[in-house]
Parts: sequence; structure tokens; C-alpha cells
Amino acid sequence: MPTLLQAATSQVGRKVLTGATGIFLVLFIIFHLGGNLAIFGEADAMNRYSLILHNFGPLLWIARIGLLVVFVIHAWIGISIWFRKRTARPQKYEVYSSKGGPSKQSLSSRSMAFTGVVLLIFVVFHINTFALGDTGTVMIDGQEATDIKSLVIETFQNPFYAFGYAFVMLLLGAHLGHGVWSAFISLGLSGKKASAILYTIGGIAAVVLAIGFLFIPIYIFFGGGCEAALISCE
Amino acid sequence: MKLDSKVPSGPLEEKWNRHLKDIKLVSPNNKRKHKVIVVGTGLAGASAAASLSELGYNVQTFCIQDSARRAHSISAQGGINAAKNYQNDGDSVWRLFYDTIKGGDYRSREANVYRLAENSNNIIDQAVAQGVPFGREYGGLLDNRSFGGAQVSRTFYSRGQTGQQLLLGAYQAMMKEVHNGKIESFTRHEMLDLVVVDGKARGIITRDLVNGTINKWEADAVVLCTGGYGNVFYLSTNAKNSNVTAAWRCHRRGAAFANPCFVQIHPTCIPVSGDYQSKLTLMSESLRNDGRVWVPRSKDDSRHPNEIPEEDRFYYLEEKYPSFGNLVPRDVASRNAKLVTDDGLGVGDSGLAVYLDFRDAIKRDGEDAIRAKYGNLFDMYQNITDENPYKQPMRIFPAVHYTMGGLWVDYNLMSNIPGLFVAGEANFSDHGANRLGASALMQGLSDGYFIIPYTIGDYIAGEDLKVVGTGHEAFSEAADKSQKQLDKLLAVKGDKTVIEFHRELGKIMWDKVGISRSKEGLESAIKEIRALREEFWQNVRVPGEANYYNKYLEFAARVADYFELAELMALDALDRDESCGCHLRDEFQTEEGEALRNDEKYSFVSAWEFLGVNGKLETKLHKEDLNFEFVELKQRSYK
Amino acid sequence: MSEMTINLKIWRQKSIDDQGGFQTYQLSEVSEHMSFLEMLDVLNEKLIKEDIDPVEFDYDCREGICGSCNMVVNGSAHGPKRLTAVCQLHMRTYNDGDTIVIEPPRAAAFPVIRDLVVDRSALDRIIEVGGYVSVKTGAAPEANLIPVEQEVSNTAFDYATCIGCGACVAACPNSSAALFTGAKVAHLNSLPQGYPERKRRTIAMVDQMAKEGFGDCSNYGECEAVCPVGISISSIAEMRKSYLKAVL
Repeated sequence: MPTLLQAATSQVGRKVLTGATGIFLVLFIIFHLGGNLAIFGEADAMNRYSLILHNFGPLLWIARIGLLVVFVIHAWIGISIWFRKRTARPQKYEVYSSKGGPSKQSLSSRSMAFTGVVLLIFVVFHINTFALGDTGTVMIDGQEATDIKSLVIETFQNPFYAFGYAFVMLLLGAHLGHGVWSAFISLGLSGKKASAILYTIGGIAAVVLAIGFLFIPIYIFFGGGCEAALISCE
Repeated sequence: MKLDSKVPSGPLEEKWNRHLKDIKLVSPNNKRKHKVIVVGTGLAGASAAASLSELGYNVQTFCIQDSARRAHSISAQGGINAAKNYQNDGDSVWRLFYDTIKGGDYRSREANVYRLAENSNNIIDQAVAQGVPFGREYGGLLDNRSFGGAQVSRTFYSRGQTGQQLLLGAYQAMMKEVHNGKIESFTRHEMLDLVVVDGKARGIITRDLVNGTINKWEADAVVLCTGGYGNVFYLSTNAKNSNVTAAWRCHRRGAAFANPCFVQIHPTCIPVSGDYQSKLTLMSESLRNDGRVWVPRSKDDSRHPNEIPEEDRFYYLEEKYPSFGNLVPRDVASRNAKLVTDDGLGVGDSGLAVYLDFRDAIKRDGEDAIRAKYGNLFDMYQNITDENPYKQPMRIFPAVHYTMGGLWVDYNLMSNIPGLFVAGEANFSDHGANRLGASALMQGLSDGYFIIPYTIGDYIAGEDLKVVGTGHEAFSEAADKSQKQLDKLLAVKGDKTVIEFHRELGKIMWDKVGISRSKEGLESAIKEIRALREEFWQNVRVPGEANYYNKYLEFAARVADYFELAELMALDALDRDESCGCHLRDEFQTEEGEALRNDEKYSFVSAWEFLGVNGKLETKLHKEDLNFEFVELKQRSYK
Repeated sequence: MSEMTINLKIWRQKSIDDQGGFQTYQLSEVSEHMSFLEMLDVLNEKLIKEDIDPVEFDYDCREGICGSCNMVVNGSAHGPKRLTAVCQLHMRTYNDGDTIVIEPPRAAAFPVIRDLVVDRSALDRIIEVGGYVSVKTGAAPEANLIPVEQEVSNTAFDYATCIGCGACVAACPNSSAALFTGAKVAHLNSLPQGYPERKRRTIAMVDQMAKEGFGDCSNYGECEAVCPVGISISSIAEMRKSYLKAVL
């Protein structure tokens, strides 16, 4: 019997971990998108949401660290798979083509490493901009809260940031297009029907999440921030 | 040369058990000290290697393929017979024995065939335990189908890939022993000679096909499981690399070759489409259950088959054999296809084909019903010929399929060279002059799992086998001889390729030593073979070098052996002045054109001793008389 | 019968140590009824007469069952047709004047022996560590003692039908052997006969894949697309499930 570490680092273990962490990350970004969409709610909805999170105190930090660990594992394995693939085929084909049919080779699946790495870099900037960025404070229900909403609106007035962010969200969609389905297969989903259904659901989820995320910067940029119809500022 | 069949005495039902009781055993401690070489890893070889290793012997296996799993047994489609009587249709060991010996037209040993039938049930048990996925009924129990030559349903099957599944079972059993460190498996190694020391088989010479190294291997016994020699005809349903070389080199070292002229020709194969044709593809003979075989009545009928009206169609099998019709046995169907094409009635570009027509079956049962039964075969046919068999008749023609002849063995499956055992298609033992469908897999596994492991022990326990060492001069002599032959082939640098020679040899064999033979034809075949053999050694062109992977050099050495075997086959066919099973001599037929056996004079096994090749093949015939104590010899009739 | 001229660009490599490279050949009088390998036979006959070493490639049964042949034709393992081993591919698939690029299956675990011939013994070693049921000859119980649900038996057969050609490895962007390994694990683990050893088998075979230098599986599914017998990637999922159950 292998030790747990040996099992986790086996080809199956790595894939299972990639799948499990992937599903966790998808759940996280769904949650994250919910928070983002608060920008369209009442004037203080987004900041109120931020405050609630901050009020978890140490728990929030535990969650943040947990998230980071999951993210690092996911990225680490993904990158190591890419490196191993290169040693597993040192000499490339002169011509290579997919046979189609049941093949899941697509722009989405072939670019997992690329989109993954871009997302990794993006996340670093993203945390730097929003989680660690300079924000003012606002008072909510007598409590001092960070004014994340203003930071978001201000940041997305910058065309480079808005379009850059939107572009990365397209890549996120591409990553999830293969990733959502693949995660379940990695976890041992073997039914052919279930797999077919899940492939479609995964595709739809990818599109919905990507649009959900990239809609906000584009809307803010073109809508002019607080002037935008759906966003109320105080 | 003395041929002692060593068949135990006593009633048929008790012979094998009695023999097992008398057999000498090797103690577990001593088994460890003995080494057995198994050449070939098909059903017989893989099963023998796994079983011997489980017993404790040190085993080395050799195969020419890149993996032991690729042996030609893998191509067998139909199924495997066993006398389980699961269908409650009155089957029994006796009935399986009787069908097999009758199907072989009474040219095999009663005792061997009976033992085969006895072992059949154990084979199914063994395969199922290995995880072979046989077809099952809804209730979860094993299913059976019926097959030619039997009136009971006794054939176990894994869709159309029974050979593959059984071979993988045996291969996996073998790999388990490789893992246990008891089998050393050598792939891409070809046996080029047998090493005989003091009259006993003590090792082999091989060529490493990757780098051309000639290697010497010593053992206490050698088991040859190298399959049949159908490729002597160039075109056959055999895999391209199937060959006679290992068996022939043993023959050259003194092992008798038995019944070489007994070759089975399968009636339903896809016809040749051009000179480039490299092999023939068999389609299950079950097609004849619904397909009707015909040719146009007149020679010059160039109409599309669908435009030929009923009255101009010659349903020759139905007309000649009203009671069996299209379901006559393989040999009868093949022979009649040749007769009509010889008369110029053949169809297709080459004129070497007959129609197998499903029009009426489709009209009767509907296209869906036919698709359900034969869909995969129809697809295969369409893939190869680009013709739609639902819309127009298939074209079929007989092709060489299996060789019943092989190295002579006694009841213990040992050749006349002590220590050389021969199993599976490579020996001559169980099928007489014709093999029934679904019996080849049975024989290979019976030999490998349930006979060889016991009889080898008996041999080893009874001999004083001292280590001789591969430094012994017998080893160096054999190794030098192998190397010299290869060098000689490369040195000819003639104008004709190996394939061209092989194709020409195949044509002589097919025309004159094929479906039907005549004295005149055989005599001229012998002359032609000799002349072509001379030319081969003067004018063959073998490319490349000996110390690299070189497939055409392998072929050249194999074809060289075919040239000698071919002559022996013709001599054997010429000597046998009778017709029996697949051996049809034009001179010996009933008034109705059926095979006419001569039990008075030819109820024997022809065992040929090799004396040399000197312009002609020098050979000597020995006869092992076949005595039938338990069955009555009858003339077959399918009218 | 129409005849074609075909341009061939073929990988030539004399031995494992040789660097290798492409050579181009033109072959006329190619019949549409020839199989792909027969076309190569004809090329070789021509090369032999011209004193050029023939192109070496693996083949045996030429019926699509032995799994010997496995070459990459215009970037696809076994050529363009689905559910077809290259020995069953016919030249009518091509047109006069076509150029066909032929390469060996490329993977670190499949070193090239010569031209298109590679060493696939890594696959044997994966079977060796657990791809069997440990039953000794003679120890088997009566075959009908354990009924097996027909559907289970049929599914096991679908996995067992693998011909071991290695096309899955050749086509996988990662050079993974997961389909080959998964097929054997799924075949044996699904049957009652293979059940007792399922844990040991799965762990050992998965471990061996990595040791042989095959890449990880990224669920590209290309393996299923090129598999001449159509083995489903559900076998890979089954293998993962078995593995998880074995280690947890």
C-alpha cells in the first residue's frame, strides 16, 4: 500500500487532486461572482458584503489561507503535468491532428496550461489591486468598513485594466470549458451519459461565469462608473 | 527412426487418468533446478509457460513479435468447444471426441482426441477464472452457440474475438509468472535452430531481431509452440509473420514431420484483388447459414450480379447437395468453388471468386435482421472491398487457413527427439485430415495447460540431464550454421525479391498442392519447386545488413525453409493415394465426386525423416499405423 | 480500377542511436483497393530493387486484432479513419497526388528501434505488475459457479477488447498510457473473478505507468478517438475510482 503522500503524488492522485481543487475553485468563483454582482445592488451592498466577510476575523484568514493552498496545489500540479508532458515526448510530431469524434481536444483543452498560467499571474495582480489596494473607509451601521466599491469603480475606469480584466475572464471561460467536465472525470465519473451531460453543463457554466465576470468592468468602463444606470453610488 | 506413440493401454475413458497415475514426478525442490524453453507464446506456448512456471520450473519464453500477446492465436474469431453440456442437448466427452475424430476423417489417434475432449471442460473453467469475458445469458451463466460439424451447441465464445480473449488470458497468466521472476520472456527473438546433444534436445539458437545477435540458450527441455505453416502458400489467412522455420529447423535436426499435406482451406474468405495482395481475410463461415452460393450458368456472362435472372444462376451447392445445401463442410464447399472457377464460371476481375448472396435472406427476414446477425462481417467486407453486401452479393473464395500436419509427437506430445515437445498447431496430433471449427483453440490450450506440464515432468524425472553448457560444440556448430545461412542470403544480391519468390512458390502450391491434387500436378509441382529453389539461392535479393532490424532478411530465411517444406508437402500428397478430409486427390473420388478414403492402405500417419537437400529433398517415410478400437470408420456423405 | 500517384514523407531512423530524419518517396500505380500497409509493401519492393533499405514497420495479422501496427499518418495514429487500425485502412481514402506523412508513435516510453518500429515493451510491464487474475492452472472452480450479470460481462468485454497497439499513447498530447492501463483495470476489476485483487492491481499498474515515463492524463479524450477498437475513456474514470477506493 502506498502512503497517502505517495497516493496523492501518483498520476491518479495528482489528477484527483487537480479535479477536487478545481471544483473547489469553481465553487469559490461562483461565490466571488455573487459578491461582485453586489455592485448592482443597493448603494452600500458591496461594501456591506465586504464588511460581513471582514467580521469573520481570523476565520476569514483561515479561509484565505485555505483558498491559497488549494490554488497553489491546483496550479502546481497543472504546471508539473505540463513539464512532464515535455519529457514524455521529447521529439515532437512533424504533423499532428486530432481525429475528432469523441476527442475532447479543443482550443479550451489544449490551452489549459496557458490559460492556467495567465490566471495565476492575474490572481497575483488581482489580489494586489483589490485585496491589498489602498481604499478609503465608509461607515456602515456604525461600523467602519473598507470602501471596496469605489476602488472597483475607479480601477475599471482605466481602459487597460478594464479590458485586460475582461480578456483574462475570457481565458477563465476557456479554462473552465474543459476544466469543469474534466474535474468530474478526474474524480472517477465513468457513466457515458452523465459525462455527455456534464460536458454540456461545463460549457454553459464556463460561458455564464466568464460573461458574469467580464460584464462588470466593461459596464463600468462604458457606463462611466457611478454614472452607470444600474449602479447607485452615494 | 522408431515411432512409438506411447498410447497407454486400457479403455479409452481411462487412458489419460491411468497415464497420469503412472507418470513420474519431479519434487518441488528439484523443479527449481530445471529449465524449460518455450518457443512461441500463442495459446499453447503462453499456457504451457505459465503452467510450467507455476509448478516451479525456470522457464524462458521466446517469440518473434514485439509482445507475447500478439501471437496469431489472437485472430481466431469463432469460439472454443467444450463438452460441458450446459445446453442439456445430450453433449458429452464421448460425443465431442466422436465428432472430432469423424470430422478429421479418421486420420488421428483415438487416445489423443479423447483426451482433448476430456480436457475441454477444464479449459473453460480455467479461462473463466482468469476473467475471460465469454458470452453469457441473461441469467448470468455461460452461453453457447452451434458450429459446423456438430449437432449440439457446445461452442463458447467472446463475440467474434474468442481467440483474442483466450490468448490474453494465457498471456496475462504468463506475465504474472514473469512478475514472479519464474519466467524470463524474450520478445523479438526468432528461433533458428535446435541444439541436440547426445540425441536429446538441449537448447536453441535464436536471433535477436533488433540487433541481429545470434544467441545460445541451454535447457533441459524445449517446447515448440510455433503454430502452423499455412504461409507456405504465400497468401493465407495466417498472420504475415507466422512461419515454419522453428519447426522446420527441428525437422532438419531429426524430428519427424507428420502429415504435411493436410491443409485446411476455408471456404469463405475475401478474394484476392491484385498482385500486391499480402494476405487474405477470413469471414466467419456462419455466413453460409443465410447466404446462397452461386455463379452465372454461362461463362461469358458479364452482367452485374443483380441483373442476372434466377434461371441463369447456378446455385451449385444446393443443386449438388440437396440435403446440406450451402452448409456442407468446409472442405466440400472449398472444393466446389474451385471446380466452378476451373470451369471458367468464376466472377470478379480475376475470375477467382463466387457469389455469396443475401438477397433472398434480406427479402425473407428483412435487412435489420441480417444486420443484427452479420453486421460486423458486412462492415468488414465493405471496408475491404468497397462494395455494399446488402445491395449486391459478396464475392468469396477459399483461402488456406490451418495446417493439421506438423511435427510428429507421441502421446506425451514429445517428438522423436527426446526433450523436444511440440504443442498446438505446430504438432500434428489431434485433427487428422480436417479440423472442425472451434477446435484449434481447444487443442492449443489443452496441450499447454493440461498436458505438457505433466508430461515434461515425466521426461525430466526419468532422464539424467547434466548441464552441458552453451560452450559445447553442438551449440557453436548450430550458431555458426544459423549465422552462415543469413550471411549467405545477404551475399546472393540477385535480382528478384524474397516476396517475388514467395509469391511464385505460393502459386505453385495453390494450383497443384491446394484444394485438389493429382498425381500429374504433384509431380510437376515437385519439379517446379526444385527449380525455383535453385533459382532462389542464385538470384534472391535481400536488402540491408544482418546486425540491424531487418524484416526482409527474416522473410528470406523463412522462405528458404518454405521451399523445402513445399517439396515435402507435395511428396506427402503424392504418396497418399487416397482422398481424406482436406486432402483430395482427383484420382480418388466416389462416383459423386466425394473424397474416397482408403482405410485398408492409408490408415496411418505419414512421418517424414529429413535426410538432406541436394537439388532435391532427400527424405524417408515412416508410418505410424492408426488403430481404431473404439469407433467404426464410415464414409462421410452430405448429399 | 483507378491508379494514383502518392507522395510519401517517411521517418527513417536506422537504429535507436541514430538521429533519424524524413525522406520523401513518390509511388505511382497505387491501387485504391490496396491496404495502406500493402502500399508500403509495394514501396519497399521498389526500394529494394533500387538498392535502398526498405522502410521497416511492425505488422502481423493485418486484420486489426494483433495490435502490431501503429504508425502516425498525417498526424493521426492509425490514419484518418475512426475505429480502424492502419492495416485495415485502404488507399481509396486518398486522392491522386496526395502527400502522406508517416511517423512512428512518438513517446519517451516507446524508443524507436528502426524507422517506424518502436519498442512497446513498457505496455507489457504495466500488465506484468497486476494485469491478471492470480489463478493457477488447475485451481479454477467450475465455470458456471459464479454467474456474472450479462451487462457486467458485456462491459468487461468492451474493455478487454484492447489490442495493445499503443495508439492511445501515440495520440495523447501528454503521451499518457491511461487508456491502455484503464482498460485492463476496468476489465478485471469489474468481474467477480478479478475483484479480490482489485486494490493491489490498480495501485501497482498506476504506479508502473509513471515509472515507464508515460505522461499524465489530462482528459483530452484523443485516445478514445484514435483507438481502433473504440475503448471508452470511462475506463480511465473507472481506474481512478478503483484507485481512490484502494488508497482511502
